[in-house]
Amino acid sequence: MKKYLLKRIVYLVIVFFVVSLMMYMIYNLIPSDPALVQMEPLRKTLKPDEWTRQYNELREKMGLNAPLIVRYARWMGFMPDPDGSWSGMLQGNFGYSVSYKRNVTEIIGTPMLNTILLNFLSTIITLALTIPLGIYCAVHARKATDNAIQVGTVIGYSLPTFLIAILFIYIFAVLLRLLPAGGAKTPGSNFTGLREFLDRLYYLILPIIVLVFTGLAGMTRTVRAAMMDTLSQDYIRTARAKGLKEKVVIYSHAWRNALLPVSTSIMGWMIGVFTGGSLVIEQTFALNGTGKLYWSALTTTDYELVLAMQMFYTLVSLIGVLLTDLSYTLVDPRVRIDK
Amino acid sequence: MADSKKTGSGSNSAEKKEFFLFRWLRRAFFPNKELDIYAEEQVQSPVRTVVRNFFSKPIAVTALVVFIIIALFVFIAPNFVTLDLGEQDSTLVNISPGYSMRKFPGALEKNGVQSLSVGNNYSVACDKEGKTYVWGKTKVTKLINLAEIPDEVKSAKIVQVAAGSDHIVALDDKGAVYAWGYSRLGQTRLPAEIQSNNRMHEFGIKSIYASDQFSAALTDDGRLFFWGNENFADLTYRAEEFDGHVTDVALTNVCYVILTDDGGVHSATENGKFATDRIPEAAESGVVSISASSNTVAALKEDGTVLVWGAATKGETKVPEFPSKVVDVEGGRYHYTALLEDGSVMSWGSNRYKQSEAPKSLDGGKAVKLWTGSFQNYVLTEDGDLESWGLKGFLLGTDGLGRDVFARLVNGGKMTMTIGALSVVIEMIIGIILGGLAGYFGGVVDMVVMRIAEIVGSMPFIPFAMILSAVMGTKVSIEQRMYIIMVILGVLSWPGLCRLVRAQIFAQREMEYVVAAKALGVKESKIIFSHIIPNVMSVCLVSITLAFGTSMLTESSLSYLGFGVPLPTPTWGNMLTNANNSIVIQNYWWNWLFVGAIFGVACICINLIGDGLRDALDPKSNGR
Repeated sequence: MKKYLLKRIVYLVIVFFVVSLMMYMIYNLIPSDPALVQMEPLRKTLKPDEWTRQYNELREKMGLNAPLIVRYARWMGFMPDPDGSWSGMLQGNFGYSVSYKRNVTEIIGTPMLNTILLNFLSTIITLALTIPLGIYCAVHARKATDNAIQVGTVIGYSLPTFLIAILFIYIFAVLLRLLPAGGAKTPGSNFTGLREFLDRLYYLILPIIVLVFTGLAGMTRTVRAAMMDTLSQDYIRTARAKGLKEKVVIYSHAWRNALLPVSTSIMGWMIGVFTGGSLVIEQTFALNGTGKLYWSALTTTDYELVLAMQMFYTLVSLIGVLLTDLSYTLVDPRVRIDK
Repeated sequence: MADSKKTGSGSNSAEKKEFFLFRWLRRAFFPNKELDIYAEEQVQSPVRTVVRNFFSKPIAVTALVVFIIIALFVFIAPNFVTLDLGEQDSTLVNISPGYSMRKFPGALEKNGVQSLSVGNNYSVACDKEGKTYVWGKTKVTKLINLAEIPDEVKSAKIVQVAAGSDHIVALDDKGAVYAWGYSRLGQTRLPAEIQSNNRMHEFGIKSIYASDQFSAALTDDGRLFFWGNENFADLTYRAEEFDGHVTDVALTNVCYVILTDDGGVHSATENGKFATDRIPEAAESGVVSISASSNTVAALKEDGTVLVWGAATKGETKVPEFPSKVVDVEGGRYHYTALLEDGSVMSWGSNRYKQSEAPKSLDGGKAVKLWTGSFQNYVLTEDGDLESWGLKGFLLGTDGLGRDVFARLVNGGKMTMTIGALSVVIEMIIGIILGGLAGYFGGVVDMVVMRIAEIVGSMPFIPFAMILSAVMGTKVSIEQRMYIIMVILGVLSWPGLCRLVRAQIFAQREMEYVVAAKALGVKESKIIFSHIIPNVMSVCLVSITLAFGTSMLTESSLSYLGFGVPLPTPTWGNMLTNANNSIVIQNYWWNWLFVGAIFGVACICINLIGDGLRDALDPKSNGR
């Protein structure tokens, strides 16, 4: 197990650096010249020769003339900058955001907390709903209620998140006027303590409902499939043959085993939501989360912030893949990893 | 491939000459004979079993049919519903769906039309008994509806009406003027003299005029009054110079010209800065009537010639040859219609909404009176029939820039489906080739391919596609950007298919039938092409179907976020970007509901087809 874990982590690190190198290369496709940006105001005050000399000096000083791989190494923190200091990602320098005029590390905190809160709440609610629902569907497979739920879930996972969001805004915010259509807190309010938290939750309800609805469909189907698979196993037949009550068979023998494959797909689903789903949700509901931050960074061409966020997303999804693989081995003893 | 041709597994010799793909398809869809279950187990190709299973599922078949209908619709309809990407019109913004613009009430025709006026997307008329009618898209805002005629107007005997973009002016038989509609910009604020005249009847009013956001009244003794939005239109008037001599007025959107009793057209504003203020010499005498489109003015001279000047953009100045003398000329937004002495009508100018396609012959005989405005024309014939042509409305309404939602829906659908399909093709090519290589060669090739697949697969999809689109999509044309999006989607989504193909090839290689074939001494190439590939393909089919749905979803999500196909090119995704706005969601539901519905149905259908295929492939669901 330890050997496997070590192998996986080494592999993850390698993949991370390969992806980050690719990202850095893509980032360098953008025609930008920070030295020129700094020197442009001086163009009128200096003689052309002097200006060119200073410009080239600055380029040298900023390390812009170095080959791509050297610049990558400096950015990552494998190599010192031209002035001898170490200030790469590994040293905790994630870059400087042009649009916020602050370091990326200072900006990223609050949005990340918001996104985590949103995803955490919606995951819990989704699981609390889907597991019983999936089991119910599997037990009552091919009956009217099951069919109805199946049709509902097909709709849920076929429709794009933003369409569901628009539809739910129309229903809950426009027609029923129950919930706010967007935003993070009551405009003009300055609540504190519990009041503030509740206000924030109130504004999170609709995004959570949308996320739960989109998640519900896929997860219910996963749980149902796993449960149906389990119910067709021999040991269930044995349990029934022993004369156990159907309740005992389902809730004591079957569902624990059925949840094994489900627990692994939860991880993958959460990563999908965290990277893709929250982008759309935060954009639609104007929530200050990582997705919104990434979106605004891209639209304002704040590329250092984009790059840092991209690294963050990559790390999240790589760790997610690792955890998924690990959870397979942890929850299912039949999966052997020594090979 | 050469091997596959000569090694067909069919029993008769004719089959051997067929190209393998056709053979598969023919066998899949046109089975020559039904086999019993045991015979089928032995020889029936898996594709055929899958197809038969699939077509026994009513839901999946319904989904397939609906999807095919939608696909045909979005690929055929754009040939008939053309889309002009640069098109937008501020007067056609956010019109609700429906063809009501030219549906005048029957009572109006029956009682005889006294006066009629065409406003933006609605029309107003009064009959010979003085009753007022309003029809078309009369809702200006959520609360203001032009069709709600004020009580004082209902009780008065109206003899003349004039329609602006969002207000109506009416004149009764006693010379009182009424105005209703949108009033925030002063459209209904009558000048003090007219207000007092409404009460005292000090002077007679000859006629009333209305343009976009302003109106004018002309008195019997040749005096002019203006009211309305002065910020937008030039309503200055050199009264001391012209009062007492004015016989007609023509209002453009932003200005006006007058006709005086000497038969000359004059610009009476103090600034005279618009193109219509530069009156041509020929119009300085001998003019009998004037009329205006939104930016040009037409003058009809005594000899029947028509002069048009101003800022013409859609061919308003291209006056045609008239077969007989012109009696009257009326201007719409970008077109003119002329009534001729012989009772026929002719139109010229913009024909975007068929507003200048005047009917060759009128049902009710000769035309005696003509009213034109906006994009519509109405003609009163000798028999008292009212005939109309021009824009009747929009099937699915218009969006916030005055673009036809239906045209964008079908063209956007074509775009979305094309991108979805082509990105799936790219995904298929990469996935099947790499998966096939990895599965077939194994060893080092497998290792390398799988590592690449894992790296690509572990990239967060939407953020990565967004940055690629943002970086690569700048400074390229819309079409190139479209291809970039397709390639991005294809290149980022192949690992799943690659793994599937590889796993399938691995699994099939170990199957008993392959072992049996090997034991019989069948060549390796024949085993691959006629045994393994058909089995792998059938499983891939599900994956490809679902991948098509996913591609469409991803493309639309990207477009929705603004990183897909850029506006004004429509896709179902970026059409829904408009709806990310509570005002649009609330008031202009047609902007998002139809697109959302057709897109949702298409996605649901694809998933149902995928589910059906998966069930059909699953041996457990075959019931044996």
